[in-house]
Amino acid sequence: MRRALLALAIGGGCGGQEAPPPPSPVPPLFHFTEETVPTVVWCGRKEKPHLLESGGSGLALFDYDGDSDLDLYVVNGWRLDGDKVVEKGRNALWRNRGDGTFEDVTDSAGVGDDGWGCGVAVGDVDGDGDPDLFVTNFGRDVLYVNRGDGTFARAPDPPGIDGWSAGAVFLDADGDGDEDLFVGAYIDCTLDEVLHAKPTLDWHGAKVMLGPFGLTGKRNAYFENAGGGRFVEATGKAGLTDVGAYFSFGVMALDLDGDLDLDLYVANDSNPNYLYRNEGKGRFKEVGLWSGAALDAGGAAQAGMGVGAGDVDGDGDPDLLVTNFEKDATTLYRNDGRCLFADVSEASGVKAPTYAPLSWGTALEDFDLDGDLDIFIANGHIYPQADALPDAGTSYAQANLLLANRGDGRFTDASRDAGPGLSVVRSSRGVAAGDLDNDGDIDLVVSNVDATPTILVNGTVRRGRWLLVDAPGARKVTVEAGGRRWTRHEVRGGSFCSASDPRFHFGLGKVDAIDRVTVTWPDGSEQAIRDAAPDRIVRVARNP
Amino acid sequence: MKRSHVFAALAAMALFAFAQETSRPAVETYGSIADSILATKAAEKGIVKTILDGHKHAAEGAMRRGDHEAVAANMALFANEGDNAVGGIRKRLLEGGHHHNADGEAKGIYEPGYVVVTVEAKKQCLAAAMAYGKATTDAERKKAFEEFEAVAAKLLAG
Repeated sequence: MRRALLALAIGGGCGGQEAPPPPSPVPPLFHFTEETVPTVVWCGRKEKPHLLESGGSGLALFDYDGDSDLDLYVVNGWRLDGDKVVEKGRNALWRNRGDGTFEDVTDSAGVGDDGWGCGVAVGDVDGDGDPDLFVTNFGRDVLYVNRGDGTFARAPDPPGIDGWSAGAVFLDADGDGDEDLFVGAYIDCTLDEVLHAKPTLDWHGAKVMLGPFGLTGKRNAYFENAGGGRFVEATGKAGLTDVGAYFSFGVMALDLDGDLDLDLYVANDSNPNYLYRNEGKGRFKEVGLWSGAALDAGGAAQAGMGVGAGDVDGDGDPDLLVTNFEKDATTLYRNDGRCLFADVSEASGVKAPTYAPLSWGTALEDFDLDGDLDIFIANGHIYPQADALPDAGTSYAQANLLLANRGDGRFTDASRDAGPGLSVVRSSRGVAAGDLDNDGDIDLVVSNVDATPTILVNGTVRRGRWLLVDAPGARKVTVEAGGRRWTRHEVRGGSFCSASDPRFHFGLGKVDAIDRVTVTWPDGSEQAIRDAAPDRIVRVARNP
Repeated sequence: MKRSHVFAALAAMALFAFAQETSRPAVETYGSIADSILATKAAEKGIVKTILDGHKHAAEGAMRRGDHEAVAANMALFANEGDNAVGGIRKRLLEGGHHHNADGEAKGIYEPGYVVVTVEAKKQCLAAAMAYGKATTDAERKKAFEEFEAVAAKLLAG
């Protein structure tokens, strides 16, 4: 029997069963419809007595078969009942057929790991030009090496952490041309502790899961690619020792200080975030505290969950976004250059709409193609008990958020009239963003706890033209058109335990032509493309 | 129940069987433990002040060398009552239920686990560190460092 098919009405606005939206004085800024991926993502018991059952899992959008469209990898956890494991959810790979349908190719590709999955990283570990997969688990992590024929080989001795590892990212940290691996870890616990956990923390008169305080943090780890499929643990040598054993979740690699090597940013729950500045040749220095990107404007550590980055104010450098726990707003750090950041959450309008929900994965993308980056944030509480506690003033399932950039780096909550896709209310976690249908706008996939993931198909009225630059290995791409200039940066990992479309996407606003596209490679060399036209996908291979 | 626990329980029962007051040896032992706890708390404050003093001196030394990044870093580490390794120790103490300034935490004066640096002082020192890091002239740096020094001196004297 043919595997399940997922029909996607691409850009078609398939909200036929939805009630018409109420009249609005201004036209809605965005419109997303909802589709689902028929893979139920499990995470423990309904009552969630242990913190492990709160985390959910991530997703990856990547082109595993080289057919120029994005395929989807869904990480899955386990379902528990009482002190028993009743189902080991399998990860799933959904191949994009390119015609608006996805098919489940998990078995033929050989990537259906049934460990308790948390996150996923995409990278080319063997340098053969196709993307490989690294899956973080509660337990042994897994490395799937892409054979290039639609199948993967499971590495017999993968790098990783045996325990609860969360976000992970591949990056060429030492500039030797191959991809190294950083793995964030959260809590040190055993399956026995998880299976026998009882809710012990008082919360609005109910007992809920304990943590993270009261549980022991697990240390992050870094693995240097030694070639030939071999990774060597080199955390201390690289200056990445997790001295505080902080509770790490989202991790991301990008060039934050403009020197073209990849720095690392780690969101820590209830502890200062780490900003590891790459000093070159694989040595990092933790500069989070004095750089201004570790704490909020009040000097307090927040409960970091997910991370995102992008040039929200159009000044050419990437700004940082960190999602946090409820009543602890999402923080937008403006990049002021020289690796210095300022918390502008309040002034930018990000703080108010993000204060109440508990936030996880995120994406900074130009969803309406008007030439600036908007923000999507996935929300969901960790305590199911919230639904029975009116005093808590919250709920386990929460609506996601879409913040529209007004064009100057200030944001307005535009979630309300953004179509049926933004009306979905679940307990969401991982988010991956990308142009699923290659139509020029950015779609989203959201992982939900104990439910199927949601695909948010972007059917927003276009406020401009677009360009999608597929330049594997490029550090950044700059586009000049209509007297404006946009820079998009290579961002690896990020969101919550997820990996998004690696291509560089530009909304251009109302332009007639593109003057110049400049691709910058890690060694600083630049490659100009002068004949690029709007509304196209441009593929750029590095000049020999 | 282990055999040693049984013996201890029997001994305690024997001690209290005829007495109308807590046994003197138990009171004395507890008194000694209290002395140790209080001494440890004072020692905790002492080591944190030493850490802070170290960062202040490191900032001053870096300023003399013209290493502006190290100045800003040490000002921020002062604000944070030490680096992330110290933060890890603080986390461990909190996980074990130890709050040096429990009352001050309840009143919002101290962050959980902080010993010397108040919430307000932390904000001021971090703001000064950021201002120092972003400064482009010596005058701006001098102003930022003086703001830091004033807060630091008060904390170290307290």
